[in-house]
Amino acid sequence: MGNAVAIIGTGQTKHGRRSDVCYPDLVREAVTAALEDAGITLKDIDGIVLGTMPSMMEGVSSTHFYFAEAMGSVGKPVLKVETCGSTGQSIGHCGFFWVASGMADIVLVVGSEKMSEGDGQATMTTVFDPFFQRTFAAGAPGVFTMQSMEWMYRFKIPEEKGREAAARISVSNHDNAMDNPHAHIRTRVTMEDVKNARIITYPVRLLDVCPASDGACAVIFATGEKARKICRKPAWIKGLGFRGEEFFYGESDKAIWMSATEAAAEAYRQAGIRNPLKELDVAEIYNPFTYQEMIFYECFGFCPRGEAPDYVLKGTFLKDGELPCCPSGGTLCSNPIGATGLIRLAEAALQVTGKAGARQVEGAKLALSHAMGGVDQFNGVTIVGSEL
Amino acid sequence: MQRVAITHVAQSSGMESKESLMDFTYRVNKEILDKAGLKRREVGCIVAGSADIFHSGLSCANAFDWDGIGAFLKEGSRAEESAFSFIYGCMRILSGRYETVLVTALVKGSENPDNDPITSFYGDPFYLRPVGVNESVVAAMQMRQYLERYGVTEEQCAKVAVKNLGNALFNPYADRKRRVSLEDVMASERVYDPLKALECAPKSDGVVAVLLASEERAKTLSKKPVWLSGYGCSMDHFHPGDRDLLKGQLPAAAQRAYKMAGIDDPGKQIDVAEVCEPYAFQELLWCEHLGFCGEGQGGRWIDSGMPLMDGALPVNPSGGVLATNPYPARGLYRIAEAALQIKEEAGEHQVGKKVRTALAHSTHGFGGQCHSVVILSA
Repeated sequence: MGNAVAIIGTGQTKHGRRSDVCYPDLVREAVTAALEDAGITLKDIDGIVLGTMPSMMEGVSSTHFYFAEAMGSVGKPVLKVETCGSTGQSIGHCGFFWVASGMADIVLVVGSEKMSEGDGQATMTTVFDPFFQRTFAAGAPGVFTMQSMEWMYRFKIPEEKGREAAARISVSNHDNAMDNPHAHIRTRVTMEDVKNARIITYPVRLLDVCPASDGACAVIFATGEKARKICRKPAWIKGLGFRGEEFFYGESDKAIWMSATEAAAEAYRQAGIRNPLKELDVAEIYNPFTYQEMIFYECFGFCPRGEAPDYVLKGTFLKDGELPCCPSGGTLCSNPIGATGLIRLAEAALQVTGKAGARQVEGAKLALSHAMGGVDQFNGVTIVGSEL
Repeated sequence: MQRVAITHVAQSSGMESKESLMDFTYRVNKEILDKAGLKRREVGCIVAGSADIFHSGLSCANAFDWDGIGAFLKEGSRAEESAFSFIYGCMRILSGRYETVLVTALVKGSENPDNDPITSFYGDPFYLRPVGVNESVVAAMQMRQYLERYGVTEEQCAKVAVKNLGNALFNPYADRKRRVSLEDVMASERVYDPLKALECAPKSDGVVAVLLASEERAKTLSKKPVWLSGYGCSMDHFHPGDRDLLKGQLPAAAQRAYKMAGIDDPGKQIDVAEVCEPYAFQELLWCEHLGFCGEGQGGRWIDSGMPLMDGALPVNPSGGVLATNPYPARGLYRIAEAALQIKEEAGEHQVGKKVRTALAHSTHGFGGQCHSVVILSA
């Protein structure tokens, strides 16, 4: 299966509204934390991968230039990889392949976003083509709500049941975020708070939706040999998959969502996972919208199609459930987009190495991380384990 | 160690295309798969090279690219610059996990604003952009320094444009096709003093694809695979004022590539070079940094005729970026052209000498802010 690759260090900023730092300094904060976590210095880094959202969000194009000093990449090889919201997973995959190719021993991967300085929803609208789709695009909520409605209609999920389950997901993610010192939104909410929150796009309400966060994440990948030498407890990359579907939204079936289904299937195949619900110990899912998290459960094979609300209502995905999902509070409580997918991977690595602090799932050995991008077009999955 | 080869190449013309970007991309991808006798489903993985909103009118360029590059429900990714996407494709093969990877770079320059306003967005909005800095402005400052520090003349710089536009007449895919004399170049408008209009690259359309394969697969796919033997990349400081524009990161990138390829005398061991020269004088500066001639010797190097099509080390037989500039795709065009020279498939712009080792170079940013060097071998 090729060379073994492991994660030997991760670093995250405190996510939220970070008017105390400029954008490059936000990046520096995550890079410094990751280097400290791995116990190495910039001298040990052979290459750097960066990913963010597109220029319109950043206000600067080709951000690898802007962050040159902050990432410590002056005089070093760089790669800039971007796939929209799934960027965080895509740059992780690039870090993996750079090391697995034998062209580098240690690679630093950096994802970041300073959403308070850009216009996220305007940027999302420009992902649509300018001729057919853009005129009726309504940012992310418009799309994700349409998908949620399609899914509930397809599987005949009663609206009240969907509402109830989505509210549970909001409550549990907010509860989990209380244990995560990096999380943006750290407030407890009740079922009533969620159900009575302001409507964004029916049936999605304010507390069903992620915030717009500033934040950065850095993850350090190393060859198996280096990892064993440097790191007491590395997180091994077990499997990865990335899939994208048609550009035009109407051409694909978003209730079944083949890109999500097949990205996970590819990662499972590589990791030798047959029954994800039983075999996985924890999952960090890219869940900017509560309803969408349920579609992911189904695509990832955690439950049969159309049954996610039942599983949610019986507590399968709670922190003490059969497969805890998003013990970090997830994307729902922090979403610096370019970093978010990498944060999922970092959190998964923390879980399988027992370094997740108050949000640790006891005895976690195998974890799934995920990110979604584009207009419901892309999905990336990475599976990490405590053993190779 | 695993090896990786380019087995096939396909490219579009750099001239304005009437097709939509999706059709434009599809056509070149179909062509390369047909050449290789492969079906889309038989390709292991697909990597795009493209830039977002300012070069395409769309954020998250990979979203629109995806159908045209044939990546529907396939393993894939996208890098923001085409030399990056090439090396990422190579990494996927070298990892031992894929036997074939299709790398496609694409842009329709004709559908978006001029390069100068677009490249001004490399600068930060606080210090650089308000004073009007863009790629051409920095290049003009760089050229002025080059002339003054080393005594290279404006005529010597202009000769690069004469050479490259002359070579482009033999390249059916070139965008700017026009026979120009030294007088024409010198008399063309001074757009950013001392840079003249004919010394600046145009803005082109372009889709280029290369098929990569593992050693075993390459031997069955192609009679003459071209092997990756060296790669180097290096990036400079963000602020142009923090840099010596004449001593950038290209020597570091080149040394990495030469070390990997076992090259210690590039001027002798490299048979042909495709260099990314959006501004004529940069070809001279880059050739110095690549070790083809000594520091400050770029002017004499072009006078000697060495880099001409029939010279000892032809540079840009395709006409280079001065003839065809599909900005984010131009690096992969250099790599594809270098591969064609080794394969002896460059047609009318095939150099006279036998090519065993070719160098391809890509740069983007202000005055060579990030350089990639690729060495290919027969």
